[in-house]
Amino acid sequence: MTTEAASSSNPAHFIAAFGTGGLLTLMVHFNGELAHYGNALFASWTAHGTGTVAAIILLLIFYRGRISNRVKASGAPLWAYLGGLSGAATVILTSTTVNSPLALSGTLALGLAGQVVFSVAADRWGLFGLPKRRPDVRDMAALGLVISGSALIILFGRGGV
Amino acid sequence: MTLFILLACLAGVLVGVSRQLNGRLSMSTSPLVASFWNHAVGFAILTVLGFFVGGLLPSGAGNAPWYAYLGGPVGVIFVAAGSWAISRIGAVNTALLIIGGQMVSGVILDFLQSAPASLWASTFGVALILGGMTISRRRGKGAGTPQKADVTLTE
Repeated sequence: MTTEAASSSNPAHFIAAFGTGGLLTLMVHFNGELAHYGNALFASWTAHGTGTVAAIILLLIFYRGRISNRVKASGAPLWAYLGGLSGAATVILTSTTVNSPLALSGTLALGLAGQVVFSVAADRWGLFGLPKRRPDVRDMAALGLVISGSALIILFGRGGV
Repeated sequence: MTLFILLACLAGVLVGVSRQLNGRLSMSTSPLVASFWNHAVGFAILTVLGFFVGGLLPSGAGNAPWYAYLGGPVGVIFVAAGSWAISRIGAVNTALLIIGGQMVSGVILDFLQSAPASLWASTFGVALILGGMTISRRRGKGAGTPQKADVTLTE
């Protein structure tokens, strides 16, 4: 058996991804504090700056002496380095819509919809060089439940906050 | 209003694009390297943008509590973990779990700070999310996985 097949249903991946969502809550909370004292651009700029420094420190710890050949990727297309561009654009869009009639709850709910539709397309066609995966009925059911639950929490549970 | 709706949806799409790109980069390098480039490129772009629109160094920034500056380092782990997961469990599963994790931990954070506006909506929402995650985890042979074999070995 290949490691790929084994890892496909490894619970560790699911727990890690779920925990990652928890990190996102922390991150949004901290960055929100920065934006509160400064502004949205300052918050994102600072987070990317301190993040870059933190990443360098972690790379130094984990890849001592092997950084040069790690960072200079072999075989990665240039566009694969543009995740940060997409992320920076996201910040600009959301700080615009949060201050529109949509407010935070509308921004979150619609962003969720955009994210989900894109992820289905990304798996279906293997967009940007990642493996193709055909979503099945179970995936769609799971997606429906998570979206409904999230919509409930965003629109009613957190009082539109 | 239609414009704002489109922009908010586009923001969500771009979150997915970013995760897809970082996932692709991490396949050729490593999740941590992908996270590094994500932050370095984002920092460079926002710096240039800041020179044009201003506001990079607002006066009140010095009053922010020290822990507010932890958002960046937390983000490094977040991006690395997302890049690691997406090449293994796919975009749909990664999005689904991150959204679920964000919602459930958000509700917990609300509870710790102050009571949420609606207890039933939060509780029912969390139940739906956990149900969805359970379904996606207990998958049949080959469902949504790149290879069909050996599912039983790891269950």
